[in-house]
Amino acid sequence: MKKLFTAASAALLIASCTSDLSSLNENGKAPVQVPAGTLIANATVDLSDYLASINVNENNFTLWAQHWTQTTYTDESNYNYNQRDVNGNTFDALYANVLRDLNDAKGIISADDALPAAEKANQLAICDLLQVYTYHVLVDIHNDVPYSEALTDDVTPKYDDAAIIYADLIARILTAHGTLSGDNGLGAYDLVYGGDSDAWKKFAASLALKLAVRSADYDSDGTYGAKEVGEAALAAGVFTSSADNASLAYTSSPPHTNPLWDDLVQSGRTDFCASNTMAGVMNAHNDPRRAVYFRNLDSLGDLTGGVYGQNSAYNSHSQPGDALEDPTLAAHFMSFGEVSFLTADAANRGWNVQAGTAAEHYENGIRASMAQWGVSTTDADAYMAQTTVAWDASKANELLGTQKWLSMYMRGNEAYNTVRQYDYPAMNIADVAQRLPPNRMSYGVDEYSLNTTNVSAANGGSDDDTDKVFWDVN
Amino acid sequence: MKRRANLFALAIATFFSFSAIAQNVTGVVSDAATGEPIPSVSVKEKGTNNAAITNFDGKYSIKAGKNAVLVFSSMGYASEESTVSGNSLNVSLSISSDKLDEVVVTAFGISRDKKSIGYAVQEVGGAEVSKVKDVNFMSSLSGKVAGVNIKQSGTMGGSANVVIRGYKSLTGNNQALFVVDGIPISNQITNTSNQTTGRGGYDYGNAAMDINPEDIDKVSVLKGAAATALYGARAANGVILITTKKGSAKKGLGISISSGYNVGTFNPSTFVRYQNEYGQGYGPYYGPDTINGVWTEAKMTAFDVDGDGVDDICDPTGDDASYGMRYDPNLQKYGWNSLFPELSTYQQTQAHVAGANDPRSFWETAITTNNSVAVDGGSENGTFRVSATQFRTTGISPNSSLNRNNFSFSGSQNLSDRLTVSTTASYIQQGAVGRMGTGYDNRNPNQSFRQWYDVGVDILEQRAAYETTGKNLSWNAYGYGAARPLAPHYFDNPYFSHYENYSSDSRDRIMGNIMTNYKINDWLDFMGRASVDTYSAIEEERQAVGGVDPARYIRRNRSVSETNIDLVLTANKNFGDFSFNGNLGSNIRRNEVSNITASTNGGLVVPGVYALSNSANAPEAPSESAYNIGVNGLFARASLGYKDYLYVDVTGRQDVSSTLPSDNNSFFYPSATVSLVFSELMDVDAVNFGKFRANYAQVGADAPAQALANAYNMGTPFGSANLASAPNTDANAGLLPESTNSTEIGLEMMLFDNRFGFDLSYYNQVSENQIMPARVSSSTGSIFKYVNAGVIQNQGIEASINFTPVRTKDFEWNINANYTRNRNEVVSLFEGAENLQLAGVQGGITIEARPGEAYGAIYGISHERDAEGRPIVYDNVLYSRGRGGGVRYLRGEKAVLGNINPDWFGGLNNSFRYKNWTASALIDVSWGGDFFSLDTYYGYATGIYDLTAGLNDAGNPIRNSVYDADYQVHGGGGAGGLRFTGVSYWDGSVDADGNNDYSNNTVDVDANGDPLYGDMSFYSNVLGYSRGVAEYHVWDASYVKLREVALQYSVPADLLGQTGIKGLDVSLVGRNLAILWKANPYSDPEAGLSAGNVQGNQSGAYPAVREVGVKVNLKF
Repeated sequence: MKKLFTAASAALLIASCTSDLSSLNENGKAPVQVPAGTLIANATVDLSDYLASINVNENNFTLWAQHWTQTTYTDESNYNYNQRDVNGNTFDALYANVLRDLNDAKGIISADDALPAAEKANQLAICDLLQVYTYHVLVDIHNDVPYSEALTDDVTPKYDDAAIIYADLIARILTAHGTLSGDNGLGAYDLVYGGDSDAWKKFAASLALKLAVRSADYDSDGTYGAKEVGEAALAAGVFTSSADNASLAYTSSPPHTNPLWDDLVQSGRTDFCASNTMAGVMNAHNDPRRAVYFRNLDSLGDLTGGVYGQNSAYNSHSQPGDALEDPTLAAHFMSFGEVSFLTADAANRGWNVQAGTAAEHYENGIRASMAQWGVSTTDADAYMAQTTVAWDASKANELLGTQKWLSMYMRGNEAYNTVRQYDYPAMNIADVAQRLPPNRMSYGVDEYSLNTTNVSAANGGSDDDTDKVFWDVN
Repeated sequence: MKRRANLFALAIATFFSFSAIAQNVTGVVSDAATGEPIPSVSVKEKGTNNAAITNFDGKYSIKAGKNAVLVFSSMGYASEESTVSGNSLNVSLSISSDKLDEVVVTAFGISRDKKSIGYAVQEVGGAEVSKVKDVNFMSSLSGKVAGVNIKQSGTMGGSANVVIRGYKSLTGNNQALFVVDGIPISNQITNTSNQTTGRGGYDYGNAAMDINPEDIDKVSVLKGAAATALYGARAANGVILITTKKGSAKKGLGISISSGYNVGTFNPSTFVRYQNEYGQGYGPYYGPDTINGVWTEAKMTAFDVDGDGVDDICDPTGDDASYGMRYDPNLQKYGWNSLFPELSTYQQTQAHVAGANDPRSFWETAITTNNSVAVDGGSENGTFRVSATQFRTTGISPNSSLNRNNFSFSGSQNLSDRLTVSTTASYIQQGAVGRMGTGYDNRNPNQSFRQWYDVGVDILEQRAAYETTGKNLSWNAYGYGAARPLAPHYFDNPYFSHYENYSSDSRDRIMGNIMTNYKINDWLDFMGRASVDTYSAIEEERQAVGGVDPARYIRRNRSVSETNIDLVLTANKNFGDFSFNGNLGSNIRRNEVSNITASTNGGLVVPGVYALSNSANAPEAPSESAYNIGVNGLFARASLGYKDYLYVDVTGRQDVSSTLPSDNNSFFYPSATVSLVFSELMDVDAVNFGKFRANYAQVGADAPAQALANAYNMGTPFGSANLASAPNTDANAGLLPESTNSTEIGLEMMLFDNRFGFDLSYYNQVSENQIMPARVSSSTGSIFKYVNAGVIQNQGIEASINFTPVRTKDFEWNINANYTRNRNEVVSLFEGAENLQLAGVQGGITIEARPGEAYGAIYGISHERDAEGRPIVYDNVLYSRGRGGGVRYLRGEKAVLGNINPDWFGGLNNSFRYKNWTASALIDVSWGGDFFSLDTYYGYATGIYDLTAGLNDAGNPIRNSVYDADYQVHGGGGAGGLRFTGVSYWDGSVDADGNNDYSNNTVDVDANGDPLYGDMSFYSNVLGYSRGVAEYHVWDASYVKLREVALQYSVPADLLGQTGIKGLDVSLVGRNLAILWKANPYSDPEAGLSAGNVQGNQSGAYPAVREVGVKVNLKF
């Protein structure tokens, strides 16, 4: 009897023994620590995927810029972005994917005592530049966004003033610019420049120029310092040829194909065609890029554009061109062409651009775009010789706006920014929504339920998409 | 050891028994009805501990004094008391017809007198769940048990959602725990989140559906926390305790054979009613207004098919809607079937008319067969039972079938008077081919049939096109004028899709236990049991070359196992008026789960070969996950009884879990119950039994595995760069255990000769400190974060009633009814968060937990309403070609549009017995609750439903323009549109602050007093998704269903005579025969996507299936 009791109690004791149960909870399939480069590379791809996407759930700006319109399902062409939570998806993609990975990478780099000091500094600078770039995309979309309290343990980060964020971004660029030099040690993880910090240095200067030019109209009294920053950037050395482009060359097989290929080819869908806005501008200027940007041109080589926002039969309109159906098509973060337009704008404003005239930089911008899409120099020259295209400082906004808008094809965010900055070319009223494009994108519904107080206070309490972002003062 | 024990027993016997002059009494106990001897009957001398038990011949022998009273009791029989008057005493027992001495199975398989239990337990006999069988036996419980809400998903072999007393966990598992013979069995639902949120996939069922209804002896449903405290955390959702059939001691062998054959057909009242007036397309923008002299209103494609230099009239086959040109049998046009050279209709024109066979003709007859053999036997030393069951079913979709084979063994052997060893083991093999695709996905034919379709298609012509060519000749080919005219655009030929893009899956499973019982002495028993449930499963999905979606092969391998070791000491002792019953036990549980999913990349090299090595590009690294959970628990229970009418129970359990931080991984939770059998204290003839019960219980719960530390996700390398990303859900190293507190009171009574009985319960459960991945602003860098937060409360009333209006020798009528009303409230969430999104589904709808609302709020764009609650309408924009105009609903804010929880649900079963005939009918009711229909949301826009065509109240075609300038019917009048009533018209005026001013609103007429019409002229009409309001597509989910009907004839024993057959029953059964009431005219309100927390979303819903069948049971 007693023995049995003893045996039973022993068994009970065994059960209560807490042999190290905790080890059962370890995740044997996913690492708790990774090389920082894996995170930087991933953030680069995520950022590029967001910018290059034309998926209606993710990025609607190729529609908002009215390069394209939709054929059958015209909701996004009519600026219905809340239905698919495009604004919420943008936050998720840029904060939780891109910025978060870069933050983790910074933490790992900082803690890595084995890393040579120079490489450490370079890598941190590159992470910061990518974060700055990402934040400027967010500001351009929404205006005020969470910044100083973002990416911390604070679950309700406040929204910071857009102009103040821009100023801080510029300061961060200057710091990074001062650090970058030589080999950054990232090697293949540096998907943009393959480890070359000097290339990143030019990128930093170019990005500073971009933010400076963009905030120039806002800085009407010169107190913001746009001119000084722009001139300093130009003096430090911005992109001088397309070889300097910051771009991501996609791979030929999924999952790392250009998102355009996923949506235009892989999906088998026929959702987009040229808009009448695009057709109007390109046809008017006999643009030689028409046959590259689109297919299904008419017998005169003109685009047939669908009325923006109205249903348009795919077969009877000009469709996104064959060139876009290449899975390896590179996507640009910044290009020499874009920098040339920025420099032209700077020169036109009377800033010291070191070398060249507004006209020369303007032409460089057009030429770079023509070359990018394989248009011959002859055709490009003929195009620029037209009086409607040739530089004329008296209509600088119209020319810069129209030509940059045309050259920002498949860079929806930048094409949309261009229209907002220059107010050219003229946008059409969307047929069903009966309105012009929004001036910004309202915040997603999740922010209202999760970060209510702060989002409600953003932009002085107004979240209308007819409000303008801070730099869009005209 | 042995000697001492015997001496001890002898001492007790001496102490208690020598007060009277004892003599040896022997006898036989037999069944009063059949005369068969009953083995294992307990024979006790009343008022003493002197006891014996009958052998397999029903014989017993006991020493008892003269005039001693012997109590004979056996499970399922009414106890009998007899006074000893000689050396022999034969007794016959009757099947128990009342609840007085009912014994129920409770936690850990402990059998207890029902009267002593202070919480709600409801039992369902095995016959009840196997009578009218469903592939998923859980569905057979629907409408039968108060407090248990069961929802079937509607696909062959799909999962059943089983929620007891409401949703208690905000993001965790809310499904009941299934325990078979003491083995907690896996009920994993492994459907992908894409599947559960309606984005497509297959419902692979829930793992507990492997249980074979033919092997079930009884099902005991433990509903409250007090009932389940001993099972630990997982049982907070209630336990469905299944006891399988065991062998019984008898002469020779018992053989039973059961065979069933069911035929299932789709229920047309749960499917689309199509319009048949208008052709393919979205509206007037395909071609010129006039093609070849015919006014087509730009709704047809112009293309020179025959090469005569003149454009011909063609359907816009590349589009998947029915907002095209009005049908005209005199118009000849080219359609999808004119495109393909393989078809005899190639380049032939046809009349412009609706398809001769709409998608109702797509559904096939489902056949289910079930064959089962069981053999049992035994002697006084042991018993055994073996059984084999073969189950085959086909779905109503083409090329869908599921097979299941169950083999089980159970046996027990008495190794000595004290030591019994027993075991149960089952092997289950399940395989399915062609599961029915769900959600918003090409593999679900309902995505097209209910949302995106051309009513001009003759579905049988699609079948013939596939069958004769084996190719994907789709009605939705890009069509005339396109770069690839013959390729499918949005939809494959549905037959191609079913025969070429199909899934297959299989699961091999073993579950069993080994148990020893040792009787330490006459009041103390020891039980040790080791049990295991383990399976491996494979799921394969194929996308064929030539379909809309890229060719692909995906396979998932999964292995799941759970082992439990239980040691329990049980004491039973009486002290005068007091009885004591208690347990002290331990439980060691280990779970291991591992998954691996691999897929081809970028297409297949060789069509038709579904192998990872046939990938066009190098396959991505397979995705792997694996986790372990270990829980060690110690528990104790003590029950004290006083004079058979007052019982008090207390339990306590201490768990240590691997999923919690090591310094905080141990947690304790207690329960206390009281049961008062007040009928023992009163002498009212009408009252046969009355019991009041009350309890309080707490149940603790641990965290999900691997929620304490972040780990990075490794991605597919980009070129030579490896990628890693931070998780979207942040771990939390400081998690604490969750707890659920519950109280319950209940009243059970049997009245009027046990002909009327009821059982009422009220319960209140509050679950706190929930561990959940809370949605946080993504500007924090995470999308979710594990936190301890949130309170959810469930309060409810359950009632079940048994009534026997007529009971005669030949005829009996029984009514069983049950009713459940659960009120769920999400009390709070994480740090004042206003919502917790359970799922974002399409249509801008989210299913949410919101404080102040019941769990599962359907949230989305609401109607703006006036002060009286009428939806507000306002003037629509008139855009190109006369479309638009009229009025449309004004979209309001996002708001709660409905809730997934019913107000109440219940069942009403009437059963009749007349001599050897029995008949029963079960009506299953679920009242209240809502669902969002993505089907009508899109389908109204694409113009396939009957409601989008026909005439309006003014007698004009609804699809005409609301203006006289008519673009709809050449030369016809306008004044079309849908008449809006019950609405408030806003003239567009605004107040000084720019806010809408509704003070001038008029009801049902505009400012001029004219009636209101909404534009229905093309796909952006006022009801569909484009211009409509999501709230319009939230439907009442109430239903009244005729769930089960059965008619059985038992052939009388005298007819069977010397055939050797001991029993023969023949039944006619029907299941889901009719929906007696529902709100949505086009679907089954119960239809869903999958079991789990995301309910209330119909996306490509399957129609309900009516089943009728025959079943034969034979006993030898």
